[in-house]
Amino acid sequence: MTIAFVHRHVLEDHITGFETKPNPHHITVPRHPTILTVLAHAGSEAAVGAALQRLDGVTLRFCGPCEWLCVSETVSAEGLLRLVREIEGASAFDHSDGRVLLQITGPNVRKILAKCLAVDLHPEAFAIGRSANMLVAHVSGNLARTGENSFEIIVPRSYAGVVFEELKEMGREFALTAGFSEA
Amino acid sequence: MASLITCPHCGVRPKEEFSIRGDAVPVRPAPNASDETWYAYVYVRDNPKGLIREYWHHTGGCRRFLVVERDNVTHEVFSVTDAADLARSASGEVA
Repeated sequence: MTIAFVHRHVLEDHITGFETKPNPHHITVPRHPTILTVLAHAGSEAAVGAALQRLDGVTLRFCGPCEWLCVSETVSAEGLLRLVREIEGASAFDHSDGRVLLQITGPNVRKILAKCLAVDLHPEAFAIGRSANMLVAHVSGNLARTGENSFEIIVPRSYAGVVFEELKEMGREFALTAGFSEA
Repeated sequence: MASLITCPHCGVRPKEEFSIRGDAVPVRPAPNASDETWYAYVYVRDNPKGLIREYWHHTGGCRRFLVVERDNVTHEVFSVTDAADLARSASGEVA
């Protein structure tokens, strides 16, 4: 029996990256998501929250009492700002350029996040659709569960590089890959 | 120190997300109160052993001021309340 050897430089992977094709564990980074910060005036929290829920193509992220992030990949920032400002008792500001959205998915995503988050992400404790502000890799950001094994992280733009590198490092055991979204 | 704090808005969180902002027991005196009263309010603090009440700022989360009631010997946390709610209920105002 003869074996055909292929010459492969020892630093091949180190230079081109260990994984070039998207793996089951992947970070998707949308290039231009719309992210608005919305505050409700005192006393109108419930009404503003309900009105924001009704917006089409927008997902709502809870930040704290009377405060949300509105995230959309389909509605433009100007369009969404106009819609939100029509809601009585709401103040909104466009933070699309100031925040970075990271979508992380994979069967072991909770194991990856457990290394840089100190919050219980078991489905019973953090159900699909829930979101909250928390420290993500020592940076104050917003984490949302969008599916059984998918999460979205929103961090300030200037910290995005650090958080991204940290997530990549924590995902190395599962060969986590990353890329911009196609759309 | 108590390592897990149950924020009324965010749920169970590690202490690293908070910054401690001092004793929550002193009550701010009236603006025309005597110098001695103001001096006591600004500078004089007890250093009790056991149950204490402190302001904790949830800097890494909802950014609300909380009043944490805890034991500095056993590290037990008795209650965590939003400071604004507490102030409103104390003054009888309805949120």
